[in-house]
Amino acid sequence: MLQANYFDGRSTRIRVVDLSMAGDDLIIAGEDIDFRVPFADVVVDERLGRAPRRLRLKDGTFCEVRDLDALDILLSSAAHRDGWVDRMQRHLQFVLFSIVACVALVVAAYKWGLPWAAAKGARTLPPAIGRTLSVQALKLLDGKILMPSGIAEERRQALSAQFHALQLPEGGTPGSELLFRNSPQLGANAFTLPDGTIVVLDDLLTSIGDDPQILAVFAHELGHAHGRHGLQLLLQSSAVGAFWTLYVGDISSLLAAAPAAIVQARYSQDLERQADDYGAALLMHNGMSPALLADALKKLAESQSGTSKGGYLSSHPSTDERMRRLRLLGASFREK
Amino acid sequence: MDNVSDRESPPRAASPRAPEQLHFTGNGAEYFGIWIVNLLLTIVTVGIYSAWAKVRRLQYFYRHTEVVGSSFDFHGSPGRILVGRVIALAMLIAYNYSVRLRSPLTIVILVAIAVVMPWLLRNSFRFRLYNTSWRGTRFHFRGAVAGAYRVFLLNGFLTLITLYVMAPFTHQRLKAYQHDNSWFGRTQCSFHARAGQFYKIYLLLLATIVVFAIVIGLTGIGGALAALSQAQKQGGHPNPIAVFRAVAVLYGALILMGISIGPVFHALITNLIWNNTRVGEHRIECNMSPLVLIWITASNFVLVVLTLGLFIPWAMVRLAKFQLESVRLLPAGDLQEFVAAEPETIGAVGEEAATAFDFDISL
Repeated sequence: MLQANYFDGRSTRIRVVDLSMAGDDLIIAGEDIDFRVPFADVVVDERLGRAPRRLRLKDGTFCEVRDLDALDILLSSAAHRDGWVDRMQRHLQFVLFSIVACVALVVAAYKWGLPWAAAKGARTLPPAIGRTLSVQALKLLDGKILMPSGIAEERRQALSAQFHALQLPEGGTPGSELLFRNSPQLGANAFTLPDGTIVVLDDLLTSIGDDPQILAVFAHELGHAHGRHGLQLLLQSSAVGAFWTLYVGDISSLLAAAPAAIVQARYSQDLERQADDYGAALLMHNGMSPALLADALKKLAESQSGTSKGGYLSSHPSTDERMRRLRLLGASFREK
Repeated sequence: MDNVSDRESPPRAASPRAPEQLHFTGNGAEYFGIWIVNLLLTIVTVGIYSAWAKVRRLQYFYRHTEVVGSSFDFHGSPGRILVGRVIALAMLIAYNYSVRLRSPLTIVILVAIAVVMPWLLRNSFRFRLYNTSWRGTRFHFRGAVAGAYRVFLLNGFLTLITLYVMAPFTHQRLKAYQHDNSWFGRTQCSFHARAGQFYKIYLLLLATIVVFAIVIGLTGIGGALAALSQAQKQGGHPNPIAVFRAVAVLYGALILMGISIGPVFHALITNLIWNNTRVGEHRIECNMSPLVLIWITASNFVLVVLTLGLFIPWAMVRLAKFQLESVRLLPAGDLQEFVAAEPETIGAVGEEAATAFDFDISL
């Protein structure tokens, strides 16, 4: 025998009833109530903590039960089985498993899922979006972080001419522009905007000095433009921002960090290797050795050692390994 | 707040029954299981399960909230909530797109959102109330669409052009629209707070901010400047202890302001709103302590950060328990007398769109 409150759904009146099973039927009996319904027609609310559970009948009326243990006995005699989510959220093993699984899934999504989806997205998005984002980013950065270049006009024109004279390898991506800027904060650096525009800073030109080596850095940046790495990174940081927004709950921060993300871009080693490969192919296509890029990286590493200022290499991890790869490519290039 | 004193000078003749305290019987450990499984299934299904998760969450909180020995219940269907979420997401993307990329489309999209929003919000009130029940009798929201446009567009616009001088008035109009049009079964609710009472709380809030600003200005920045000018006169470096003290006061005042303003305002305004809401002849009394609310929100925040979010279920339960248990129902008569109204069906679109745009207007 199990006591319950019966509600007719038409008023707030409580009627105390007793519930019991007879064969496949549920018997509901109390003052001026006595009827039976097939248990198959009864919908039993899932268990949520110690909250009262309701047995809902087809006509919209229901019985509210507070003695959950007694209800379990009645339900087992009626061969009722709780839903799997219901059972999951009450078992310690499942709960512990859920904690581990949640953390693992978030980490995996961040490490592999996100770069994969962002790379796909960057290739699918129309070029106009990259264009708009780049124009906006430049507008925001110019005059604040980026200053006009102090390099002589003739030298800039000469470098531009050499840059545009570079022959693209088969399947290469044309249309990159070259912009000269100066930035005390960013130091010796060069970066690629989402639309493929390459921004080179004065300190990088003066640190390297040698024109073929500077062109090698441009070739590497063209690799980022070719792989649409700028847009990919932007999508990635937007997705992370969106996740935090949902988790922490602040809509205003969504996409707010986009312009900053472009300059502070920290490409993964994988993306750097892709850009190096494209750069090396481009250099060889123009009769230049990939070792030039290794030389440029070496100079930058030397000029940056001892300064805490962020530079070209701080966003380009494991320089030694990259230089070794490039010199290997250079050696094979010389043999041909 | 006149009605609070009403309780002290007992209108017991009209209220023959003792006050009925709301109780919240949930606990954090129990809710943790539901929360983490919700989270896992939401991640695995790329967000689709979030609609089911929402129903489970609301059912957990509603069913553990009791008054006069009976708990509330939530009946919303996950399918409808999912459809609502998809529409809300589309609107959110359109909104972000139009704000970021300034094109002629921007104005069209923003105007479209503004025109559609009051209707959606009204629908969200309808959905939420219709799917809430107590003892098998459902609540209803019967506000007209015109009323929603008056409150959200007209009063909202007036608030903006008066530089928020009208904000307390608009707030009062909104709560009146919500509560005057709420029904429990065939019993209509009513709202009795006047705009003047809203202004009092808003002015108190403004005065507190001004006091904080003065304290910050005088002790913080003033102290730092004094230390600097003294240093300049003597031609040496500024006294590091004086500078540190000034900075400490500055940050202390800022943190104190950050953690106290929101909860104090929330407690005062919630008390005002519920103390002036009636369900038929039955009164409601809400006595939320601003100081306790500051303590709960601040400690919740610290613990959620320290546990990287694992404390969230306990934090939610703690906050709900405190807020709900500061409410009492003052019955004017028999509570068995409520009669249900005819059933209707209401979509979840409005509710989802409203929460996506962060208009959490309900208590």
